[in-house]
Amino acid sequence: MSPGMPPKLSLPGVKHVVAVASGKGGVGKSTVAANLALALHAAGQKVGLMDADIYGPSVPIMFGLGQVNPQATPFPLHKYGVALMSMGFMVDPNQAVIWRGPKVAQAVQAFLGQIPWGELDVLVIDLPPGTGDAQLTLSQSAPLTGAVIVTTPQDVSLIDARKGVRMFQEVRVPVLGVVENMSYFVGDDGKRYDLFRAGGGRKLAAEIGVPLLGELPIDPRVAECGDTGEPMVRKYPDAQVSKAYMALAETVIRETLQRPADGPLPEVAL
Amino acid sequence: MANDVRPTSLKREGDGLKIEWSDGVATFAAWRHLRAHCPCASCLDERAKPPDPFRVLSEREVGAGPPAPTAMRPVGHYAYQITWNDGHDTGIYPLELLRKLGEPG
Repeated sequence: MSPGMPPKLSLPGVKHVVAVASGKGGVGKSTVAANLALALHAAGQKVGLMDADIYGPSVPIMFGLGQVNPQATPFPLHKYGVALMSMGFMVDPNQAVIWRGPKVAQAVQAFLGQIPWGELDVLVIDLPPGTGDAQLTLSQSAPLTGAVIVTTPQDVSLIDARKGVRMFQEVRVPVLGVVENMSYFVGDDGKRYDLFRAGGGRKLAAEIGVPLLGELPIDPRVAECGDTGEPMVRKYPDAQVSKAYMALAETVIRETLQRPADGPLPEVAL
Repeated sequence: MANDVRPTSLKREGDGLKIEWSDGVATFAAWRHLRAHCPCASCLDERAKPPDPFRVLSEREVGAGPPAPTAMRPVGHYAYQITWNDGHDTGIYPLELLRKLGEPG
């Protein structure tokens, strides 16, 4: 087998694998992935969250976890009812993971194929930005049900999100829909402010013919929760943004049920 | 080809590959034709250059005879990877390409 070609992985106990992606960095993929995972859990699903961002893992801090001894710890870790795996569990947060692409692909494959995920309804995968090794490895070797594209409202974010969508289309991974993060801010006066312009997520969704899965408002507590290790959906379940996440989770459940995976491509009779 | 058209069966037929597609179409492509259109980066690069009349074949290439696959396996939901009898295995053929190479003309 050539080094560039990942082996095909099957995850027998996992019903659906959903990738959270965007072409661009900084739009809140990890925040969306963590809160979506918890919202899915709150909706009664058995959920796993795999952090495929090898260079910049964020799952540990968002769940209040840190480095563990990989020799002595059975993975995946569990917190708030969600099974978790991240490079950040294995590397000192102050140390940089300086790796070339093929090593990234190997790590992603190991997370998927060698971690005993057990029985899950949904495995959420938090992808790094871009359309590179991690994304390609997943598309080639993981049985992805679909991808959720995260964007922020402004055009500069849409340009890259469009590239992410294009990649999933090329490798025939269905795009379940678009989530617009940092959509608007509701002030103390009850007025809605479109801080980063408006309508980008809707525009992108319409352009590629997929549903707009949700518009998540800005709430400073989201950042605070991320940094203190208890995601928003869990800490402030009654906040508007948490309700938006719950609605997003319901939509994702509905969308995944509507799309039973096509099944693998047929084998070739040579 | 629409993005939801998938192969339903692929099999060796004579010196080529017969594919039946979910839209009812059947295509056939000779192995030689598939090998000549390998979409991998080094083959694309090779084809972009003017032909080298002095190219020396490797022993493996000479021994291999006419192109034939030794393995062909699915990649994700979108492609097949072919390992050829000359040892070349970096070509990942997207479904669209397999369809195009099998269409007459």
